[in-house]
Amino acid sequence: MRSVFYHLISKVLPAQTAFAHCDVPCGIYDPKPAQIAAAIVLKMVEKIGELDSSVSSQNDTSRENSLIRMVWTKEEHARKCKEELLILWTDYFKSEHISLFPNLHETFWKAAKLCSKNKQNVDLKSAEELVRAVDEIAEIFKKTQSASNAAKASK
Amino acid sequence: MSFDIFDFLPLLKFRIEENSMSPFLKEGDNVLVWRFAKPKIGDVIVFKVNDKHYVKRIEKIKGDQYFVLGDNKKESIDSKKFGWIDKKDIIGKVIYKI
Repeated sequence: MRSVFYHLISKVLPAQTAFAHCDVPCGIYDPKPAQIAAAIVLKMVEKIGELDSSVSSQNDTSRENSLIRMVWTKEEHARKCKEELLILWTDYFKSEHISLFPNLHETFWKAAKLCSKNKQNVDLKSAEELVRAVDEIAEIFKKTQSASNAAKASK
Repeated sequence: MSFDIFDFLPLLKFRIEENSMSPFLKEGDNVLVWRFAKPKIGDVIVFKVNDKHYVKRIEKIKGDQYFVLGDNKKESIDSKKFGWIDKKDIIGKVIYKI
């Protein structure tokens, strides 16, 4: 009887949101989403460059549509790349990693700056630098994982 | 002064976001919260921090201070991280999962 009442009342009550709050999905960290996002930024910059050279083969509206989509995709993935990097930087990496990789903060800071630079510009060199910077972070991440696994195995 | 209808309802409905109360509450679940219950250890409560609502289980009570934890310890950000919460910040007790 009580459950019928609760069900009925729940139909008329407006729902608010309560966060159970899990920091990041299941404590799983991975640099791959950032690497994919950086690769997409580079691909978009390349495609925008190709679009300019093929201007005569398309009508203006079609070209504008393609350009806007590519710029939007570049913007979105540069944003996503920065977001993924910040999760790794602030949540995954700990002070003990700094002693192993003293340039860690500098590396992340530069990579995050490159995300912004790639939003602001269409520049092949900056896009390639972003891919390299994120790959470097992925390499550091891999080394910390190997060190962590080795420590667990020795226990 | 703003009027908020939620301040006057004895029973409130909340939709759960995220998984720190799993398996008891999963993302997307809806719950009813009774505002006038006296929360005790083991109860699941909704409380407010910085204008955002959270749902956790009471682990310890010390006067008007409550220590809350998520059931899913591995994923939960709770009193271990943000400390004890005040009684005045408690919205109510989860009394029914819809």
